[in-house]
Amino acid sequence: MGVGPSTKETTLHHFRDPLLDVVSKDKDIDLLGVIIVGTPQANEDKYFVGQRAAAWAEAMRADGVIISVDGWGNSHVDYANTIEEIGKRNIPVVGLSFVGTQAQFVVTNKYMDTIVDFNKSSEGIETEVVGENNVTEIDAKKALAFLKLKMRKVGE
Amino acid sequence: MSDEKVIRSLVIKTFHINKVEFSKKTYIENKVLYIRDNIKDCLIDNEQAFIKDITIDLIYPDNHDMFVNSIMDFSPIATKVLGKMGEGITHALTGVYVMLTGVDETGIQVAEFGSSEGILKEQVVFGRAGTPSKDDIIIHVDVTLKEGMGIIRDGINSAHRACDKLVQEIRDYLKKMNGRLCDERYEYSDIIRPEKKKVVIIKQVAGQGAMYDTLLFAKEPGGFEGGRSIIDMGNVPIIVSPNEYRDGALRAMH
Repeated sequence: MGVGPSTKETTLHHFRDPLLDVVSKDKDIDLLGVIIVGTPQANEDKYFVGQRAAAWAEAMRADGVIISVDGWGNSHVDYANTIEEIGKRNIPVVGLSFVGTQAQFVVTNKYMDTIVDFNKSSEGIETEVVGENNVTEIDAKKALAFLKLKMRKVGE
Repeated sequence: MSDEKVIRSLVIKTFHINKVEFSKKTYIENKVLYIRDNIKDCLIDNEQAFIKDITIDLIYPDNHDMFVNSIMDFSPIATKVLGKMGEGITHALTGVYVMLTGVDETGIQVAEFGSSEGILKEQVVFGRAGTPSKDDIIIHVDVTLKEGMGIIRDGINSAHRACDKLVQEIRDYLKKMNGRLCDERYEYSDIIRPEKKKVVIIKQVAGQGAMYDTLLFAKEPGGFEGGRSIIDMGNVPIIVSPNEYRDGALRAMH
């Protein structure tokens, strides 16, 4: 299990990524950069790369993280772990993922309390229609709004 | 308060295309993109170990009622004109995008976790960030891989390399076009906004094998040639600046 046709982000999606667009345009946000992390096969490697991604966020002195994934199922193991590693470092984190009815998280933890589900299909499934279950501008705006709330709570 | 600091700027100049045709050579004139009609031979060159055949066709908006093999990617046609990735000037075409589809010679669709073959208009939600709009023209590169080549990385890489060769020929012309004659001009900056909340975007991408891979930092925006696979880099986190990302630092290989 990995990335299906309806959730996969094409090269064109990356070229004009709505998430990057929304976050970089916001004048209240200092966007430090984009971290690209892979999805290795072995569990040990999954934990390793997630921990390294979180260490990067900490080293960058991030006040908040938005983490997006275009796969599900097995990919959610990596995703949940990376979120946990970030959360443990007391960095507010908001997720973007396809969940729907078909892709309920296989593992979860207390830091996964704000996940924006970008499922667009009425049945909540992998429809095999390219572009259908992709992040749109509204999803990105929601994620950033949630993150701002979470960051504000930390500051109080 | 405006003590923003611009680290670097990227200008993307777009040229609109409203017609694509085959011709004796590849060039652009009066918003028409001409593609060399015998280009197919050079795409297959050196790829015979993996590719059996390639078909290139042009799909106009009124022709979405056709069958296509599983969609491997939609990609932009863009090229660096000045500077490195993330800075300087990039030229890009609008109104036309590339669709790569694949099947192997025994009829097995090239896909990893569900495949998208079928009638084009039913298999794509048009107008999303990652898909062309309904009015765009699609250059359709359909690759027939040799038996079993759709499930190994070398086979998938071969299909992307061949597709990228076609795009490169267009890029080589696009690079030389007079930037002052562009249709639209966008300027993007990597900006430090002191005192504002510092945010990092993390993107978890595919990185396990054939049809489950991601390339970074190819020579050209959204390109294949020169790209480094996240698998080969051990899937460890790689930092990309916002401008590098916008300038096509990633190629989806899944």
